[in-house]
Amino acid sequence: MWPNLTSMLTWWQWAILAAVPPLIVLLYFLKLKRRPLEVPSTYLWHKSIEDLHVNTIWQRLRRNLLLFLQLLVIFLAMAALLRPSWQQRKLTGNRFILLIDNSASMQATDLQPSRLEDAKRKAVDLIDQMKSGDVAMVISFADSARVRQNFTDDRRLLRQAVEAIEPTVRPTSLLEALKVASGLANPGHIAEDERDLQVAEALPAKLYIFSDGRFGPVSGFSLGNLEPVFVPIGEPTAANVGIMAFNVRPSEANPELYQAFARLENFGSEEVHAEVELYRDLPAVGHPLGGGDRLINADQLTLPAGEARGVAFDLESVESGVLELRVRSGADDHLSVDDKAWTVVSPPRPIRVLLVTPGNEPLELALTTEALKEIAEVTVQAPKFLKDKQYAKKAVGGAYDLVIYDRCAPQEMPRANTLFIGRVPPRPPHGAVSGWSARPKVVGPQLLPVSTPHPLMQWIDLRDVKLAEGTPLEVPPSGSVLIDSDVGPMLVIAPREGFEDAALGFVLLDEVTGPDGKTEPYVGTNWMTRQSFPVFVLNVFDYLGGGREMLGSGGVQPGQPVVLEAPTATARLQVRSPAGREDELKGGNLGKFNFTDTEELGPYEVRCEGKTLRWLAVNLFQPAESGIRPDPQPVIKIGYVEVEGQLGWEAGRRDIWKWLLLLGLVVLLLEWYIYNRRVYL
Amino acid sequence: MPQTSTLLSPELLARLEKMELVSRKIFRGRMKGERRSPRKGQSVEFADFRSYVPGDDLRFVDWNTYARLEKLFLKMFLEEEDLHFYALIDASSSMEFGQPTKLRYAAQLAAALGFIGLIRSDRVKIETLDQPQREAAPVFRGRRSLWRMLDYLEGIEPGPPVSLAEGVKSFCLRNSGKGILVLLSDLMDKTGYEAALRYLVSQDLDVYVVQVLSAEELEPEIQGDLRLIDCEDDDVAEVTVSQPLMKRYKQTLAAFVESAREFCTRRGMSYLLARNQVPVEELVTGYLRTRGLVR
Repeated sequence: MWPNLTSMLTWWQWAILAAVPPLIVLLYFLKLKRRPLEVPSTYLWHKSIEDLHVNTIWQRLRRNLLLFLQLLVIFLAMAALLRPSWQQRKLTGNRFILLIDNSASMQATDLQPSRLEDAKRKAVDLIDQMKSGDVAMVISFADSARVRQNFTDDRRLLRQAVEAIEPTVRPTSLLEALKVASGLANPGHIAEDERDLQVAEALPAKLYIFSDGRFGPVSGFSLGNLEPVFVPIGEPTAANVGIMAFNVRPSEANPELYQAFARLENFGSEEVHAEVELYRDLPAVGHPLGGGDRLINADQLTLPAGEARGVAFDLESVESGVLELRVRSGADDHLSVDDKAWTVVSPPRPIRVLLVTPGNEPLELALTTEALKEIAEVTVQAPKFLKDKQYAKKAVGGAYDLVIYDRCAPQEMPRANTLFIGRVPPRPPHGAVSGWSARPKVVGPQLLPVSTPHPLMQWIDLRDVKLAEGTPLEVPPSGSVLIDSDVGPMLVIAPREGFEDAALGFVLLDEVTGPDGKTEPYVGTNWMTRQSFPVFVLNVFDYLGGGREMLGSGGVQPGQPVVLEAPTATARLQVRSPAGREDELKGGNLGKFNFTDTEELGPYEVRCEGKTLRWLAVNLFQPAESGIRPDPQPVIKIGYVEVEGQLGWEAGRRDIWKWLLLLGLVVLLLEWYIYNRRVYL
Repeated sequence: MPQTSTLLSPELLARLEKMELVSRKIFRGRMKGERRSPRKGQSVEFADFRSYVPGDDLRFVDWNTYARLEKLFLKMFLEEEDLHFYALIDASSSMEFGQPTKLRYAAQLAAALGFIGLIRSDRVKIETLDQPQREAAPVFRGRRSLWRMLDYLEGIEPGPPVSLAEGVKSFCLRNSGKGILVLLSDLMDKTGYEAALRYLVSQDLDVYVVQVLSAEELEPEIQGDLRLIDCEDDDVAEVTVSQPLMKRYKQTLAAFVESAREFCTRRGMSYLLARNQVPVEELVTGYLRTRGLVR
């Protein structure tokens, strides 16, 4: 196999270099003009060199040895400048986009030191192979893409950009990266308006995707000018056991008892015996037992190849804190990020609900279902309680999670989520505009089918619900309509200072004074007799009462933003990451903060004024990332294009120029030695 | 003294006055000298009687014996003779090297030895190898001839190259007499010095071979790639000076000197290596004395 040669010099540089050997020979001839020196007699000199002339061939060779060595040095240098190398593939094209996957699965160690390092090495090899004038850009991608280096021909910058890519624990989405790449290669695609002037020229580019291919087909994307090359990273022998789910829930057999439940999956090709250990990760701050792990339970299980098994641990007592699950499956586990999982345990605190009603039997009945009894603590009061000092104190002090006002309204809004039935929330004091208002009463409004995915309307079917009357609601700013009718919105929800208010535009039950002066019950709707009503009540408790967060199984994905609530509107929050990094949350809106820095796996401690407010567990739980065993024939589908993985792809050229230069140096040293010592052969 | 010469310093002359040339052989001289001769002659020292044969000089007839025995006897006396001292200087251009030049050194040496000879009334003859065949070199005798001899020596100029053998042969043809011959040469003859020395052996001379070499030849201080040109025949030797080469040169030189010494010793000649860095007086008063040339 002959090496590939890449000229490192231009033609005129070569011309100069080619002139060197004749110059050396010329200098040699000049050098051979020895300095004349008159001596009394050459008699003895002749006699002296006569002996040295005995091996004439050697002598002749010696005379030319230095010349020969010098020529050899220059030829070696020229050969090195030709940069001879052996390589698998030649780089064609002159624009390259390097997409480097840094998702969680790229941390797998089936390739040493890791898949990501291997991908980076291959990318750097490719960059090294670029010719002058070639441009490339570097994009790293997990679930989002990041341009590490824009198009440049500076190979040093490109190498630095590749070297700077760090592994993440995020899932993979190639689409993001393709969009970014395509935005630069096919500028026409991002122009939203047809009339937009296309300022950048669409240039074809080669798209190198360095990934383990742990993602599904990419749809809704057209490659356009991009010519994809998929370089699969990973060994088919990769094995991994990962935790796919971990949470705490009441035992099915005994609802009083809680269980930690985990699901493990073996993604390898061989049966694995795994050890599962459950630790209680005690809160480090303010806990009498201090920081540190406490092993509370352990189990062993056998996972057949490619199968998942569940494991459950009974919890004797549920304390607020974090549980950590570790799985150990021996040396053949090439991915460690999914070997640990965390779940946050909060003691089940009942939702505190205040129902202010002049009397509403169906509603009160709905509040006493078994499911609600478990999670809620309902207080029923008559509307006159609103005037009570105790109410004012409790409402402002945040003693309730949810207040339901049935046909009545308070003077001031409480520090709680609210649901108004047949009324709208009152105007706030000092003339501020709440935006809530109702239009005149309409008889027989027709409800439209539910079309919103809002959690309040989950599993609710209103097709068989009839209304007698209704007052269509005006939607306040940033509010949204949950139930609509032919005359206007009938259920509207709107945020207020970190809380949410919902208002129903119709009454469930009322009392009307008849013409004879007697009060008669008035039924405003048949909803109470429909199956969807208790579900709605449960949804109200779940969503507005905050019941969803009660057990807090902590299903936050890495990189996913989380909304954190402060107890008061002015409080500030601190978040401590699993690695111990402290973050002071800023820019919160009325006690609500967006926390986005969930890049690490593990429990995050949310603190307010030095006290632990809550825990947040960030877990991988991504079968696509944990399943690190690549396909024997890796293929990625982009739109309708199938890109086959280039198995055994190596851009790296095995350069030998360094060795040639080294050899040249050795020859030069030898030449120097011979010249100085005048070694006679 | 009316004149001074750079060849011999007054101090050296003072020391040389006490010396005399010594010949290991007793030679017959031409004139009466201060040495005994095997020939019966006219000195005051009686040697023998012999019968008169007609033609004998009547002045040497011992009349007292005739009166007693009536037979004619001739009275014979020991003859006292002079010594022939020859200095044969190689005046080829190769002798022009060194500081002082080898030629001058040779001249100094010849002057010193010649002066000793003059003081002892020996017959001193100094020749160069390129001496024309027909042109006889002057002969010096007696102390008065010193300045003439020195002038002559000062006047010796490097001449055309003559091979050592040719020069010696020519010398032998011109000077058939016996005596002491000091050959002052560097012996660097490409045809070899052996033939020349063999001529001298046949001459039955008391031969001293003084090989004069300069420091440049003994310890050459040259470097680099050189084209060595022979000053006599323009012969060229290309050398790249190196330690091995220098070592080899010195070996060759030592072998050359040794072979000349051995050649001379085997043939009854005295060999002496004279370095031009060694002062002449030291050579004459020290070295030559121990070698028996002077006393």
